Amino acid sequence: MIPNLNGINKAFESKARLGIMSVLMVNESVDFSTLKSLLSLTDGNLASHTRALEELGYIQCEKRFIGRKPNTSFSVTQAGSQAFTAHLKALEEFIKNATK
Amino acid sequence: MNNNEALNTLNEIKDLMQKSSRFQTISGLSIVIIGIYASIVAAGAWLLLGNHEPYSWLPTWSVDFALNTPGRTWAAILCAAALVAISFGTVCVMSYAKTKRQNHHFSFDQTVRRPLLHFFVPAVAGGLLCIAMLMQGHYGLTSSFMLVFYGLALINCSHFTTSSIALLGYGELLLGIIDCFVVSHGILFWFLGFGLWHIIFGIFFTLKNRQTACGNNAVNQTGSLDNKQ
Repeated sequence: MIPNLNGINKAFESKARLGIMSVLMVNESVDFSTLKSLLSLTDGNLASHTRALEELGYIQCEKRFIGRKPNTSFSVTQAGSQAFTAHLKALEEFIKNATK
Repeated sequence: MNNNEALNTLNEIKDLMQKSSRFQTISGLSIVIIGIYASIVAAGAWLLLGNHEPYSWLPTWSVDFALNTPGRTWAAILCAAALVAISFGTVCVMSYAKTKRQNHHFSFDQTVRRPLLHFFVPAVAGGLLCIAMLMQGHYGLTSSFMLVFYGLALINCSHFTTSSIALLGYGELLLGIIDCFVVSHGILFWFLGFGLWHIIFGIFFTLKNRQTACGNNAVNQTGSLDNKQ
């Protein structure tokens, strides 16, 4: 049986990106260092994944200063939320079909 | 991508969502301990307010312990405030220790701030209401107000921490409502709610957590076995 892969989003294929989206879906906004420690990623790794997601319009980032320290926080956009929900649905469908 | 992989992915997503939005490591033992504190204070208050003349089995010195001066309301409020402070401290320290013990990173971020905020808004409102009622001489419903507001505060904050805390809240709420309709057994209900129910729930909570921890370990072990094969 060839499972139906419709709706599986290539953008969310990497574990790091799934992690970023999962965390952002349930939080209003999350800053860079929290995200880093939650997902145990390196600075560069997280930066490149967030940039990719930002370019796709799935997340938005807000840069500001707290005192003199720069602080970047991320939040999910409406498009990102829709895409991620569709991706999760597709995954669930996939499991349902595979266990039949 | 095979079936197991997809299932693992979904589980990881769920874990991350929980870990990033809820404070999961409330110490069950600390709930038992604050129940014991509250029981001691309830016994103290019972002696202090001196409604026990008919009980001949109590030692005679306990009658001298009873306060009948106007200051006794303040003494009771001070005792209650001290109890709240010590209990809060105990839960914080022990939950912090549990977080460290499980090798989780602890930071005072929104997973900690949110449940605290959602607990303290109803709890502080209820506490101030109780103090105001005591100062104006409405003693009758104090214990039920305390139980009801505490229960609502717990239910409110349970959305941002381990969800079974809501059960503790529903218990307190129920006892508080019953207390409204039963006259002159305030301290008894106070003891049942803040003392006994904390102890029972704390034991249940600790056992349940231990079980799920064992379950997770078992899953991890079988998981690693599968990988080896």
